[in-house]
Amino acid sequence: MSEAVHGASFAPATVGVRKRRKSWLAQNRGAIVRHAVIILFLVIILVPLAWVGIMSIKSLPDAMRGNFWPKRFDFTHYSYIFEKIATLPRNLFNSIYVTAGTVFGTTAIAVMAGYALVHLKPRGGPFVIAALLVSLYFPVRVVSLISIYEIQHFLDLINSTTGLILPYITLNLAISVLIMRSMFQLVPHELFEAAKIDGAGPWRTLILIGLPMVRNGLVVVFIVNFVTAWGEFLLCTTLTNDQDARTLPVVLAGAQGGLGQWSWPNIAAVYVIVVTPGIIAFIFAQRLFFKGLAEGVIKG
Amino acid sequence: MGQSIAATGLTHNPAHRRSALSTRVTRLQNGVGAWLFLLPAVAFFVGYQVYPLIRVLWISFTDYQFLTNEPAHWVWFRNYAEALSDPLMWASLWRATYFTILFLPGTIVLPLLLAILVDRVTQPRLATLYRVVLLIPAVIPSTLVFVLWKWMYNFQTGPINHFLVDVTGLFTQQDAPQWLGGTALTLPAIAVMEVWWGLGYHTIFFLAGLAAIPKDLPEAARIDGASEWQVFWHVTRPRLAPVMMILVVLRFGSAMAVIDEYLIFGGFNRETPTYTWTMFMYDEAFKTGLWRQGFGAAIGMIGAVAMMIVVVFLLRIFRPRD
Repeated sequence: MSEAVHGASFAPATVGVRKRRKSWLAQNRGAIVRHAVIILFLVIILVPLAWVGIMSIKSLPDAMRGNFWPKRFDFTHYSYIFEKIATLPRNLFNSIYVTAGTVFGTTAIAVMAGYALVHLKPRGGPFVIAALLVSLYFPVRVVSLISIYEIQHFLDLINSTTGLILPYITLNLAISVLIMRSMFQLVPHELFEAAKIDGAGPWRTLILIGLPMVRNGLVVVFIVNFVTAWGEFLLCTTLTNDQDARTLPVVLAGAQGGLGQWSWPNIAAVYVIVVTPGIIAFIFAQRLFFKGLAEGVIKG
Repeated sequence: MGQSIAATGLTHNPAHRRSALSTRVTRLQNGVGAWLFLLPAVAFFVGYQVYPLIRVLWISFTDYQFLTNEPAHWVWFRNYAEALSDPLMWASLWRATYFTILFLPGTIVLPLLLAILVDRVTQPRLATLYRVVLLIPAVIPSTLVFVLWKWMYNFQTGPINHFLVDVTGLFTQQDAPQWLGGTALTLPAIAVMEVWWGLGYHTIFFLAGLAAIPKDLPEAARIDGASEWQVFWHVTRPRLAPVMMILVVLRFGSAMAVIDEYLIFGGFNRETPTYTWTMFMYDEAFKTGLWRQGFGAAIGMIGAVAMMIVVVFLLRIFRPRD
């Protein structure tokens, strides 16, 4: 902008508007191309999502036709899916339940571990950190599946929705602990020392002084674990057999699109219901999320 | 700011309160207390990651089958010998490698390009907007990304084939591409989906790397008459190498070990390109016969070790040369 104004001020006043506009275009050609390329990518990101959103309010004939914009809208799919797909409320509840358990479980565990690793300096701490780091590079999730099944079978947790929370907590444990560790490294040690001398125990210190200081990291850990637990497929499909026990995304992945209760607009409506909460939560938390990402993930 | 808070905290609490004895006692209490805080994390890590891996390694040396009451026998390397002499083991490893080759360049180069463009956007509002939209796919859970693209690629009603057949007329309803279901197009189709999914997230990674480069470095190079390409190649690229290394190694790992996508888009036909070593393991351990988990575990171990060899190799290539 300032460049354009600057350039224009050199042009003699007698030169017509047309020429000045041309020089603005010429001077900002780089910026225009840059924004155009970025916007092209944003469109590529958004089009599939928009397509599903519109699909969920299309009438059935329009859904089969494939045009982007329907001839007739139909908003009844949202009520239909809750009335006609018997297990849907159950699956939605399962998703919320498993995700909440996983997110709160992992976050609490990661905060405690991160705090301890940085400020309580336990013996063997560096070894724990090294082990967590190595696990990030090993395909643990896939390779350990056979014995995870065995453990769950031993604990009588096959086909149990609650049982899923245990392996789910472990899925992102390493990265969550490492994020919280680098967050706590940003908190000056003297702060915790001072609290201790004032007579606060380690729990009080952590909750009253530590937590507010690592807020941004908490948001990142929350979102990362939410995304994993909400959409987990492999463990859920392996460790449960009944549609009743499964989470909604897994049921959705198994649904064959066509007619009847799983017609395309119905699937799309279910899809919108499961995908929107995460996106909205992210948009609201994005400032904290980006800060946390910069502090915890990239430096760590 | 943090420092000033810390300083006031200290002045309120005179140091003479601490004696040598109480320091020692608190240190001991700390040792126990610290491990209490660490215990849940270590318990989950050992119980659901370390132990299962050791257990799988153990199982891989036995003829353990899940759906039988017969006790398992220790068979040493028989499972490994059987797997390694099976052409399917090698074919399935190659399929995973082929997918990684399709996926990895796009998921590194496109975000790098985007990051360089977004990094130059100076209007704060636009810069934030771009970042938020870029990250939207990253907050869509995996399964929902797959469900979404299962539609995109749908043979009859998917928008991609609608575009190819009805809008552009490049294909007819009969010879339209069959993207999913284990055809030759399935792996490239999944690779495109994965690039879409990781595009924004990786861009944010590179943006953080770019933000760490002092602005006067590229400026100085430009004043010295370097072209934009030279600035990128000699100034920016070496400083992004650490970020790039993390991305390449992590994405190599996730691409080689893909399984959810193949379960959803492929199926258990052993001839199809989506039948990789992970599917081979899953098929043997949870689908076929009496669930030969000893054999399945050996397949998993072979795949994991093959991956680790490449990871160590990659880490050596990207090792900072000072």
